[in-house]
Amino acid sequence: MKGQRFSCPVLVVQGLVISLLVLGCGLNAFAQEATTTEDTRLFDTAKIWIFLAVILYSATVVYCIYHARSGKELFIRRIPGLEAVDEAIGRATEMGRSIMYILGLGGVSNVATIASMNILSQVAQKTADYETPLRVPCNDPIVMNVVQEMVKTAYLNEGRPDAYNEENIFFLTESQFAYAAGVDGMMVREKPAAVFLQGTFFAESLILAETGNSIGAIQIAGTDKEHQLPFFIAACDYTLIGEELYAASAYLSREPMLLGSLKGQDYGKVMIFGPIVIGVILELFGITWMTTFFQRVR
Amino acid sequence: MRRQVPLILCFAFGIVMALTEFSPHPFSQWLNEEIIDWTLVIGPFALVLAVATLVQSHWTRIRRRSEYWQYSFLVFIGMAAMVLIGIPLGQRHEAFVWLFRYAQVPMDATMFSLLAFFIASAAYRAFRARTLEATLLLAAALIVMIGNAPVGDLIWNTIIPFEDNLPSTARQWILDNPNLSARRGIILGISLGVISQSIRIILGIERSYLGGVEGD
Amino acid sequence: MIEKLMNIDRRIVFILVALAVIIPSLLEVSFPITVSQPTRSTYDYIEALPPGSTVMIGFNYGPSSLAELHPMAKAVIYHCFQKQIRVIGMTLLAEAATLGDNMLKDVAAEAGAVYGQDYAYLGFRPGATQVLLGMGTAIDSVFEADYAGTSLTEIPLMADVTNYEQVDLVLDLASGSSTEWWITYTNTRYNQQIAAGVTGVIVSQMYPYLQTKQLIGLMPGLLGAAEYEKLIDRPAKGTEGMSIQSFAHLLVVGLVILGNITFFIQRRQGE
Repeated sequence: MKGQRFSCPVLVVQGLVISLLVLGCGLNAFAQEATTTEDTRLFDTAKIWIFLAVILYSATVVYCIYHARSGKELFIRRIPGLEAVDEAIGRATEMGRSIMYILGLGGVSNVATIASMNILSQVAQKTADYETPLRVPCNDPIVMNVVQEMVKTAYLNEGRPDAYNEENIFFLTESQFAYAAGVDGMMVREKPAAVFLQGTFFAESLILAETGNSIGAIQIAGTDKEHQLPFFIAACDYTLIGEELYAASAYLSREPMLLGSLKGQDYGKVMIFGPIVIGVILELFGITWMTTFFQRVR
Repeated sequence: MRRQVPLILCFAFGIVMALTEFSPHPFSQWLNEEIIDWTLVIGPFALVLAVATLVQSHWTRIRRRSEYWQYSFLVFIGMAAMVLIGIPLGQRHEAFVWLFRYAQVPMDATMFSLLAFFIASAAYRAFRARTLEATLLLAAALIVMIGNAPVGDLIWNTIIPFEDNLPSTARQWILDNPNLSARRGIILGISLGVISQSIRIILGIERSYLGGVEGD
Repeated sequence: MIEKLMNIDRRIVFILVALAVIIPSLLEVSFPITVSQPTRSTYDYIEALPPGSTVMIGFNYGPSSLAELHPMAKAVIYHCFQKQIRVIGMTLLAEAATLGDNMLKDVAAEAGAVYGQDYAYLGFRPGATQVLLGMGTAIDSVFEADYAGTSLTEIPLMADVTNYEQVDLVLDLASGSSTEWWITYTNTRYNQQIAAGVTGVIVSQMYPYLQTKQLIGLMPGLLGAAEYEKLIDRPAKGTEGMSIQSFAHLLVVGLVILGNITFFIQRRQGE
């Protein structure tokens, strides 16, 4: 995060200039070519309410992020799954066994995979300190490359570049169940003391989590796929539910700007929760305009 | 500079893509589709990278005689067979269809079918009525399981002579009401989390995904 | 004894599951099937389509989910052919390309449907988002040729179908997130009517879309297939699978009850 205070506004301005240039030049060029049948409106007015909601929420998050730079202490509720990260790493270190980190099936552009990488970065810093082997079987070759660089940097930052082993972060296969079979095989053979399952998971979630459970590993899971949560809850020791996965990097790093965005998220919930409560009360009194309004929003 | 260029690109593309969602203008739509097209270009590079990494890691394993190194030969045999048949003969060729039908389908189906075993063992171990909430979840799960199999209705209709097909009706009610409400809550939380994380990425506050790029 | 039951070896559970699957598949047991509303809605929608309408089917499941989704695909495609509704098949998953092709060919042979007139199979193109958005403008901008390599201009059926405007229903058969992609890119943007048939694991995830009518119907896993087979009065693999599913579910329910009884006994002993 070094130098962030200054680089953020600079990059925003530079990015805005590029965006406006691209949009300006393109619109000009297309305005001359547009046929009469094409919809040449710059803004789809039917989406005005969605647009306003996005602007309002984004502005709230951005305000909270920059407000947090003042250094004011922010309260963040305890998340047991993240509190257990140290315990899991400590246990693996004591037992002299490895830690397995599984990023799921998402690609590098998947927000849940990025969130998982952020957690991995924090885990890697700790494993570097304790010299605990960290094994990361990857489902996507691009994710593998990014993760190799990230973990290497984490080891370097902790002053332990010698402990970093590139072969521990490897590509297995892109096929869903072949990946599950490969990871299961490794779990059974290597018996890692701790297994992290963080990212996007589908039907392979329980196959991985049950195998982890059968070898007695402490398991911390988290996914954006809410239909896989019951499986993780049944088979893992700790599960990050819903947005907790996205809050993890802020929680673990305690970086004020990241924590600020969590506060923005809470305001977002209030923005949604408020109209729901008001809508329910109005409906109870037979007043339906609010429900009708939201039904029309596209 | 090595770090600033990707951050600026990320910001510019993030904002542009968000704006194109709200504009029906032909240029906006063209730009949206064009950028998605660009992302497709990454695919072939990823494939080359994947094959190279796979070959490299298994070759190293064979060379070093690591544990279970013999299995790495199987990887090469499987890969060579699919490539040598699939590329020159095409996906509709009998040989490729045979491999697909009698090798890939049973192997994938076997892994998927493990779920049935694991669901049973996980359910036995984890479904305990420890608290009031756990008891409610347990009851809901049992109703959905019974209602999801025709035998549930049969047993009910045979034993209890009123409210025909109550298990399947109750299952549908649980899916339509409590399940839907709980799921909506979680989806809303996840969506807000995704937007918030995206804002952090677009603004360059969250940058660990950039890997090991150091210095400005 | 109680301690043993509490920590039962998972391999015993596995053997019981295997028996619960093998025995009913050997015995020919059948149970009456109650059709759920989401499956009936899918059936009713297709039933109400006039002959000559077009249904696009997305075969978005891999070989692993074949057992659950193939019976469903078979029942719906047969229903369409019976009603003289034209079917266009495609997939967003590379590994499903062969599955879709085989399925359409098999059902067409049974129903006497003719390739190019009653159905066409476009196969796979990479980039799900691009494919779904591209078909909104022109199907042939994404699929220049069908799965066999025949140009779309040479397929009579495709002469009438240029984009979603001529497609009366999209049915997504999915084992992953593809239904959500269809909803995001084709329902929201092009007002395309969508129904889905999904694996049992992800079915509960689809209910919010059903309530908002972004999905006009939903078929839940093998049960959905059995329900559809009942509606078209053509029992097949889905119906056969119901006896296995019934016994397997009864076993899991029994195990959960047993687990809880031992749990309560142990807790009482502890007190």
